[in-house]
Amino acid sequence: MMRIFQGMDLVSVAGFERVWERHEGFTEDIFSPLERAHCMSRKNPAIHFAGRFAAKEAAIKALGLRAGASGFLSGFGDIEVRGQGGGKPVLHFRGWAARMAARRGIVQKTVSITHSGNYAAATVILLAEPGPRQGREPKRQ
Amino acid sequence: MKNEFITDERIFQELKKAIAETLRVDEDVIRRDSSLVNDLDAESLDFLDINYRLEQVFGIKMARHFVLEHVEEMFGEGSAVNEDGLLTEKAVELLKIRFGDQMPRLEAGMDMDEVPALITIGSLVEGIRDILDALPEKCTHCGAAQWTCEDGLRVKCASCGEYAVYPNGDDLIQEWLKKIQEERSIF
Ligand SMILES: [Zn+2]
Repeated sequence: MMRIFQGMDLVSVAGFERVWERHEGFTEDIFSPLERAHCMSRKNPAIHFAGRFAAKEAAIKALGLRAGASGFLSGFGDIEVRGQGGGKPVLHFRGWAARMAARRGIVQKTVSITHSGNYAAATVILLAEPGPRQGREPKRQ
Repeated sequence: MKNEFITDERIFQELKKAIAETLRVDEDVIRRDSSLVNDLDAESLDFLDINYRLEQVFGIKMARHFVLEHVEEMFGEGSAVNEDGLLTEKAVELLKIRFGDQMPRLEAGMDMDEVPALITIGSLVEGIRDILDALPEKCTHCGAAQWTCEDGLRVKCASCGEYAVYPNGDDLIQEWLKKIQEERSIF
């Protein structure tokens, strides 16, 4: 049996902007240079940052990485949303997120982002091959 | 060195202030045993906001990475979390040493996802305490060993007037892991 992991997140654009205004370095902590370049090139960067933030949080939920308080940025920097313009966005994992995805046997991942008015939302679906995968060493990064 | 300038009570007060401002709740509802996730309904953006506020207040860098992430980095793949995302016995042994009675419900086989709900305000206070207690003996700017603190929050060099620079939270976790491993050989 294939296994499915799903995650969803909704972000208030105004809420995102408040944190961004207050804390210098916030977008650098959370987003890759590629993601920042993409969002900053848009007319309203905050909407696009909020959408990508939602996508990362949805991926964190799907992967079960919500480690929260001790290590408050865990996962965010390891998940990148690629693909701009009219193209469908694609998720890319590295570091801890990639290791956990490999361990769970994730073979396919999809992300969908939307925004309307003051909110941005995203869903992530991860497809994993049948487990348990005993005796198989997960690939190292 | 032990930071005598900043009390645990002051850390708790500042934490309450940051949480109350971020979540727009009354400070009185925030207790040391409250869970940010379960009792105060904090979302991930709130969490980030609270952490950043505390970094500003105390002039510190909180740990960016989860302690179990460091464990696997240092002691190998699968040492903390198994293939199903469940905590290993060794991981639980370690978390119990770190968080002690702040996390009574912690047990092996628990989903890693369940850990955030166990984290209390009290454990956050201890996390900040750990960083503040790593105050260097000497000022990193001028080398003087004479600290002063006027507001109970920011420690300053009495000689050059610069604020104290603390080691960051991730480096401290790694140091702590090394020490624990030497003492107890968990992994
Ligand atoms: Zn100095």
